[in-house]
Amino acid sequence: MNPEQTNLLQGTLDMMILKSLATGEMHGLGISRRIEQITRGTFQVKPGSLFPALHRMEEEGWLASSWGESENNRRAKFYRLTKAGHRQLETETHRWGKISLAIARALEA
Amino acid sequence: MPVLPRFKNLIRNLTRKRERDAELDVEVRAYVDMLAETKMREGMKPEEARRAARIELGGVEQVKERVRDARTGAWLDSLLQDLRYGLRMLRKSPGFTAVAVLTLALGIGANAAIFTLTYAVILKSLPVPNPQQLVRYTFRSGDQDLGLSGPVFDALRKHETVNDDILAWSSDDLPVEENGAVTNVQGALMSGDGFRVLGLRPMLGHTFSDADDVPGGGPNGYQALLGYSYWKQHFGASRDVLGRSLTIHGKPATVIGVLPEGFDGVDAGRDANIVLPLAFEEVLNAPNSMRRHGGSFWLTLIGRLKPGESLRSAVANLQATEAAVRAEADPRHIYLSGFFSRFHMGVESGRGGRSFLRIVYSRPLIALELLVGLLLSLCCANTALLVLARVSSRFREFAVRNALGAPRRRLFRQVLIEVAMLAFFGLAAGLVLGWAAARSLVAMLAALGQPPPLDVTPQFMVIAFTAAISVLSALAAGVWPAVRASRVSPMLGMKQGAASSFSRGLGGWIVPAQVAVSVTLLAAASVLAGSFVRLLSENAGFRPGNAVLADVDLSAIKPSAADSTADAHKIVEATAQVPGVEAAAAMTSPPIHDWFSAGHYFSLGPNGAVHTDMTLWPETVTSDYFAAMGTPILQGRAFSRDDVTGEQVCILSAAAARYFFPNEDAIGRFIYSGGADPAADGKTKVAVDDTFRVIGIAADARFRSLREEAPHMIYHFARKDEISSEFFVIARGPSAGVVAGAIREAARRVVPTAAPPTVFTFDRLVTTHLRRERMLTALSACFAGVALLLTIMGLYGLLARNVVVRTKEIGLRLALGARPRDALRLVLWQGLRLVFVGAIAGLAAAVAVTRLLGSLLFGVSATDPAIFAGVVVALFAVALGASCIPAWRAARIDPMQALRYE
Repeated sequence: MNPEQTNLLQGTLDMMILKSLATGEMHGLGISRRIEQITRGTFQVKPGSLFPALHRMEEEGWLASSWGESENNRRAKFYRLTKAGHRQLETETHRWGKISLAIARALEA
Repeated sequence: MPVLPRFKNLIRNLTRKRERDAELDVEVRAYVDMLAETKMREGMKPEEARRAARIELGGVEQVKERVRDARTGAWLDSLLQDLRYGLRMLRKSPGFTAVAVLTLALGIGANAAIFTLTYAVILKSLPVPNPQQLVRYTFRSGDQDLGLSGPVFDALRKHETVNDDILAWSSDDLPVEENGAVTNVQGALMSGDGFRVLGLRPMLGHTFSDADDVPGGGPNGYQALLGYSYWKQHFGASRDVLGRSLTIHGKPATVIGVLPEGFDGVDAGRDANIVLPLAFEEVLNAPNSMRRHGGSFWLTLIGRLKPGESLRSAVANLQATEAAVRAEADPRHIYLSGFFSRFHMGVESGRGGRSFLRIVYSRPLIALELLVGLLLSLCCANTALLVLARVSSRFREFAVRNALGAPRRRLFRQVLIEVAMLAFFGLAAGLVLGWAAARSLVAMLAALGQPPPLDVTPQFMVIAFTAAISVLSALAAGVWPAVRASRVSPMLGMKQGAASSFSRGLGGWIVPAQVAVSVTLLAAASVLAGSFVRLLSENAGFRPGNAVLADVDLSAIKPSAADSTADAHKIVEATAQVPGVEAAAAMTSPPIHDWFSAGHYFSLGPNGAVHTDMTLWPETVTSDYFAAMGTPILQGRAFSRDDVTGEQVCILSAAAARYFFPNEDAIGRFIYSGGADPAADGKTKVAVDDTFRVIGIAADARFRSLREEAPHMIYHFARKDEISSEFFVIARGPSAGVVAGAIREAARRVVPTAAPPTVFTFDRLVTTHLRRERMLTALSACFAGVALLLTIMGLYGLLARNVVVRTKEIGLRLALGARPRDALRLVLWQGLRLVFVGAIAGLAAAVAVTRLLGSLLFGVSATDPAIFAGVVVALFAVALGASCIPAWRAARIDPMQALRYE
């Protein structure tokens, strides 16, 4: 494994998925590419983690899904944020902000 | 997440599983394809791109499995899978399943049966608010609780301070006039404020109060409450019943209320169909009311503790106030400390009201709970052994599943689920078994000619308890095998001959534990049986064999005392004339009925010494009594017909003679009835009612109870009016049928209009009298038998398995020159060593358990060395027998075949 790639912290995967879907609906591969892109390659999400998370979050009611055509005319399942998903993203962002601030302070002290 | 959407997900995941899986498959495959296309666009060759995509994915099936695990209800899904699989495995080996289920059903069923009784007899509370606040005042001697007298009730109410109030209750048959006919209805008398003490409210109408509990019943006359089921059956649950007038013993009583459903009174086994104020007693027993009489003990007294008080403070309070209560209730010290001096006042929990069964069966039931608990542990141990053997024969399956990625906890759960299913079937069978057993046990508890005294319809509490012990059993029997299964290493499954290394040490501690429990149960059964045999065979002072007893009740024809005495003589004479009857006699109280009878007698010694006894048992009999009863006359003579006239005579029991005439010859001396009270000047003041010359001394007889020392007795001859309307006839002859027929025919001829007598053999009376001991002996023997059987099965199974597993090793030994005898000894020694360890532990446990039984034993020490030695010898003999077959098989192993095997 590339040493510069970091394993996703527990709980951050959900946030990454929510964040990547904030701009619009996407299929699994798109989400994984998008996360890689917005973290500049720091996080790579393996399908083995991505799919369980997507299905779990759909059952939680944060995501909704529908079947559609991919860019190369392939049948794919597209995910989008629900209202609850947007709320969850806000909560997570807020929480994460607090944690990262606290950690940054702790490390500077 | 809210519950509802989660539940919807669960349902969808469970019901539309196939559809969801198909969608998932399409989704994941699309991902791989798109990934491959992306890589191709980046310049990879198609083949290479697809391979790289699949590597990045990490396996379609694995991804799908992880998604399935993340879904709501994934655990339920896999649980159902395990259940289905377990059920299939159980069905595949019906022999194992049957034996395991049967073993558990036996243990669970036995516990259910005993707990049914324990619950009904000990644990069930009166259906009143806060029953734990109730206390009951007792007047006990051994297993007999008389209840208390009216004056004690009044004095207690005045002096004690821990209760809000105390109620008095007396169950009684009430003669109710209906359409001109009189029927006896089970009912009760209750002190005026009783309902307030119980915390009950009538479901209809209102209740009476202390103001109505006065002679005549106050301004409105006597008032009555109806029991709920009586109201439904006799008055069609009509609300118009209020204000109706009942005629009870010729007196009108107005119905003012109906008791709440489920409340049958405070005396167990007696239904309160009609409840009247306590003052009604003077109507029932006119003109000899017991209400103010210090010597009539007929009341159940129940108090409700004030908040903050406890049973302990009630006991302390009774101790502090008892002297004042006694002085007030019995100022002349005639009853409480005289005739009834063997009885003691006490206070105990009143939670369950008053129950004869609770007094007699509490200790036996607690002992039985202990024994049956041990039995269940044994059943669990046996099941554990069976399951262990099965796990070890399935070790390859577990190894393969582990190798294919089943997590250890899944294997652990698989075994536990299979055992839980066994326990579930065991529970179902055990409940049926336990219910049937409880019914027959209750039938065993019934007194002569009476219906079973308990209701044993299945109760929620009993089912809950049984379910709980089934869960515990499943855990006890399943956890260890499950741990073994989860520790199977995948390597083991691949190796040849691995079974032996896996099986080694199985049950190495279970069999000794089984032996220990068996020794305990055997020892308990043996001391109980020994005690029972002693009770039956001990010289009781009479001979039950070949004797027949009859309970003659003339009360229906209302004879005078002189008439009934004359009738008794006539019945006895008519009976004695029948060929085949050797002797017949009448007596006033029945033998071994736990009855109580006392009179005040004294003798005068040579130097003016007075020997006085207020608890002498007076028994009035007809002339052939001693021959009929089989009580030997030790000295002097028995009664004869001529004693009807002339000087009044009596016969003393040996112990009574020694008491009244220490170191003297009692024959020819005088016994006086009446009073002999110590006076203030130190001399004894005597008042003589009657004088009797002692003409004989009879052997001591355990007349009251076979479990108790013989009471001191004085036998009087029935001269003119000493026998009341209910008396007992005893007759003896080689054929019980002939003798019983003779008594019946004699009664029919002498008193044709009276109810026919109840006739039973003396032997039957003895068995009924000892029904507690009989039940304990029978049950403990059953438990011990089952325990022994299970232990033998366990030991045999273990040794037989070990011989199979060690076939190669034994074969090698034989090939290297060991003789078959050595192989035999090897196996025997292994078995006996296990038994030896268990027996030592078992002896220690047995001593502890039989000590607890101590108070239930008669004439046998709880740690009787002979009995304990017998138990150990018996166990070793049986264990040797169980070891013989595997040992013989070991000796017959053919070395060549054994070495070629595997």
